[in-house]
Amino acid sequence: METKSSIIVIIPAKNEESTVGDVVQKIHAELQCEVVVIDDVSEDSTVQAASSAGATVLPLTVHLGAWGAIQTGLRYALREGYLIAVTMDADGQHPPSAIHDLVAAVESEQADMAIGACIQRGSRARHVAWMIFRQISGISLEDLTSGFRAYNRTAMTLLASRRATLLDYQDMGVLILLRRAGLRVVERPVEMCQRESGTSRIFSSWWVVFKYMLVSCILCLAKR
Amino acid sequence: MIISYKWLSSILGLLIAGGILTLVRRDYLHTRYAIWWLCIAVGVLVLGFFPGLVDMVGSPFGVHYPPILLVILCLGLVLIKMLTMDLERSRHERELRRLAQRLALLESLKSIESDESRKNAYQ
Repeated sequence: METKSSIIVIIPAKNEESTVGDVVQKIHAELQCEVVVIDDVSEDSTVQAASSAGATVLPLTVHLGAWGAIQTGLRYALREGYLIAVTMDADGQHPPSAIHDLVAAVESEQADMAIGACIQRGSRARHVAWMIFRQISGISLEDLTSGFRAYNRTAMTLLASRRATLLDYQDMGVLILLRRAGLRVVERPVEMCQRESGTSRIFSSWWVVFKYMLVSCILCLAKR
Repeated sequence: MIISYKWLSSILGLLIAGGILTLVRRDYLHTRYAIWWLCIAVGVLVLGFFPGLVDMVGSPFGVHYPPILLVILCLGLVLIKMLTMDLERSRHERELRRLAQRLALLESLKSIESDESRKNAYQ
């Protein structure tokens, strides 16, 4: 049986005032746990929206990107003594009802990290990107970029360390780090909702995609 | 009057070495970087006073035009310096991120409800 107080939900947010409050409330309706929103220097009222929805807000002073924000949350979770951390996006595409599934996978000690995978989503380009990453890195997971994940304390400790601080994205670098440390990763199929607002940061423009692909390929080659 | 190129190179060497030493003395350069620049200053001084050294080193290595040896050496040093600068920048980036994260932890805003419960707990 999961102990509710041992779970924390971590949400990195940047300019997500329209959805973050709703996401926090839906999580609270699903399970009793602390929700922490890491504000990546938003220019709108994300902080107020998250705070008034009942979340703890960690305001970053410097823009650190999604992974920097998640790592802040992981450090917070470790400091507060949480046993399991679940990361979700602030745009409402991850269904809170699936948290139980991910937590169960980690709690049953099947894995140190569980990924909420939705392989139906994404454009053809994204699938091609995943295929390239799988080839280069030798990691055979289906959904490499999902931000819906659950970590146990071992994985949290590794990922909150300085070794993971220079990563820019939550996907390949994190997976490679976990694999090299001998930690187990499993996937759980999840029905993802349509993004309520905004667009994917990574797949927003060709230049950003190109940069992301290049950085990820270098990471895969250098660290595999 | 034509000034001997030895004089010119010595004066240049002195000026560059003196400039670097002044920066180190005035604490504008961190000691860690000062070591590198002091070595450069000594090199510039020595080569400034004895420009013939380049020819002496170049000939045994079969370099037909010895000054090019100096240029290649300098380019190599510039590349090494740039690489170490990027290593240093990466270290700074890591520290900056850790600090920003620590600051966010210290400035954490608990939700309104938990603020109220905390107030109640203290009453």
